[in-house]
Amino acid sequence: MSETVLQIEHLTMQFGGVVAVYDLSMEIRQGEIIALIGPNGAGKTTAFNCVTGVYEPTNGQVIFQGETIARSHPYGKMRKIYAGSEADAYLNGSVRLSPDRITRLGIARTFQNIRLFSGMTVFENVLTAMHLRRRSNFFTAALHLNRAEEKAMQQRAAELLEVVGLTDVSGELATSLPYGKQRLLEIARALATEPKLLLLDEPAAGMNPQETEELSAFICRIKEHFNLSIFVIEHHMNLVMAISDRIYVIDFGKLIAEGTPAEIQNNPAVIEAYLGGGEE
Amino acid sequence: MAAKGKDGREKNRRGAVITWVIIALIYVGVFVAEQLLPPTSMLFTVLKKGATYALVAVSMNLLNGFTGIFSLGQAGFMLIGAYVFAIFTIPVEVRGSVYQYFDGGLVQFTLPVPVAMVLSGLAAAFFAFLIGLPVLRLKSDYLAIATLGFAEIIRAIFQWNQLGPVTNGSNMLRLFPKFNDFNITDAQGNVIVYLSTLVPFLITGLCIGLIVLLLHSGYGRALRAIRDDEIAAEAMGINLAHHKQLAFCISSFFAGVGGAMLAMYQTTVQAKSFTTAMTYEILLIVVIGGIGSVTGSVLSSFLFVACSEWWLRFLDEQQVIGDFQVPLLRNGFRLVVFSIIIMVVVLFFRRGIMGTRELPDLFRPRRKEAALK
Ligand SMILES: Nc1ncnc2c1ncn2[C@@H]1O[C@H](COP(=O)(O)OP(=O)(O)O)[C@@H](O)[C@H]1O
Ligand SMILES: [Mg+2]
Repeated sequence: MSETVLQIEHLTMQFGGVVAVYDLSMEIRQGEIIALIGPNGAGKTTAFNCVTGVYEPTNGQVIFQGETIARSHPYGKMRKIYAGSEADAYLNGSVRLSPDRITRLGIARTFQNIRLFSGMTVFENVLTAMHLRRRSNFFTAALHLNRAEEKAMQQRAAELLEVVGLTDVSGELATSLPYGKQRLLEIARALATEPKLLLLDEPAAGMNPQETEELSAFICRIKEHFNLSIFVIEHHMNLVMAISDRIYVIDFGKLIAEGTPAEIQNNPAVIEAYLGGGEE
Repeated sequence: MAAKGKDGREKNRRGAVITWVIIALIYVGVFVAEQLLPPTSMLFTVLKKGATYALVAVSMNLLNGFTGIFSLGQAGFMLIGAYVFAIFTIPVEVRGSVYQYFDGGLVQFTLPVPVAMVLSGLAAAFFAFLIGLPVLRLKSDYLAIATLGFAEIIRAIFQWNQLGPVTNGSNMLRLFPKFNDFNITDAQGNVIVYLSTLVPFLITGLCIGLIVLLLHSGYGRALRAIRDDEIAAEAMGINLAHHKQLAFCISSFFAGVGGAMLAMYQTTVQAKSFTTAMTYEILLIVVIGGIGSVTGSVLSSFLFVACSEWWLRFLDEQQVIGDFQVPLLRNGFRLVVFSIIIMVVVLFFRRGIMGTRELPDLFRPRRKEAALK
């Protein structure tokens, strides 16, 4: 069995009275495509935000390639409630890496509500995401003395745009693109950070059926090409069933099922909570 | 289809060439005008102060327009720059008369002008570094208030009598080098070549050139990314605290150099003149020029200075045409007109003169072919 890339243990995220994610544990291994599905408001994006350091979890820990990137535990009474009998097993000392540190370690993401750099061209969006890997110091970069590096970055940005098929619009303002292309650009931008694990939050939202169709093949292709593991949130069942190695289903923040696409399709709890809702 | 440049944009060679030609013409024009026109002409006052304000405005735009940090500390950093410059350039032999209440002051040496200017910038950047750590965590309006407060505190500290041996307390610093000292004179003291306007233009040009280089580098992109979307920028691995601190220090560095230039322009320095109103003037310049446009800041600096020092001066003076006394014109009316202009700009021309465009963008070849595609 290949090595574990991401491990989420007993993750809970509470906003005031809302428990958006409750006691979620899951695992992603090298080279896998894992899907996280569930109705709107189930807590999927919140789970992503905990993994990428945007939120500090209420409880639980996240381990990426053997390194703890987030670990929290509530104090006092809450501690017993959340951590139960394992309260003392791993909950010693909290860890909180900032999102940029986590990205540097090799987790990149896209956003459900597209967050491109609106004042920049398509090309600059990709180029900007390479900033974290630069070797030149501030002065050589600011005075443009790092021509070789800059040139290599521009070349790679062009290659990435080629991969996602946006070469012909590379000079356009990012926000002038149609939705589907903006999503592809978000993926290209995420890839520019040289990730090992790619988190995609509803990549097919806003895409037309044909684009969605192409997206399945595309996701598998970039996984092979960049040697990635992929963690995807998606509503299009056809897409999820086609590409996922395993699927996790959450409802009201709780994990209700886990398994291969075939297992999930026949799982009564899932059909009840999600597929049976008349959505698909 | 037009040829695409490396950065994916259509190459704008024409714009670049025309821009360089315009810049060269401006410098030649300034030089020639200075040799031909009487040095007391109002034009040169406007050009010198305009060049000074242009640098400070661009430095403020670097923060407010390109990094999205709404800071109002500019006058404070200019003050630091102006004082550092003055303190270290007053000739030793006249220190006794300048620091007459403080036994000639503590500092008893003189630095060359270029060194003192760099030191002015470094001192301002150092203060920015110190206050940046706590202040840059604040969200926009709190940050504005905190930086404004910083500028006020700095102003008070520099007037503090205990620091008199260094800052001369609340007395003015004077007799340090001024723009007119850049003129080349013969043995009798007659000016052979006038450089008192060209030199500030060169300093401002050099500094703005450095800022533009920075903005077009990877770091400049990172700053713009922070402006566009902090969450996305952080998710792309850009360390927000580090980059904001960097922008803050660099902006303050150039504000400090601008302060040194203002000292040379005014020929005297006194802490009480670096008021919040000065920061507002700079902010106004940035807004009128276009938040996020270097060209806009430069243009509007000269426009602003020309209006306030020259073209709109008449608003402050009573005018009598024949027997008719023009109503409203009296001392202070100019500021009323200014306030109205500000409101009009903010209400109707929110993007300012240039928006986010730069000079080369104005000469971009028509994009008919691209549209056909
Ligand atoms: N920052 C926040 N503050 C308060 N509540 C939040 C926040 N983020 C998410 N939530 C709540 O958490 C729940 C799960 O949201 P989300 O993770 O976005 O769902 P999903 O992505 O599965 O549609 C929702 O009820 C939402 O209102
Ligand atoms: Mg969501």
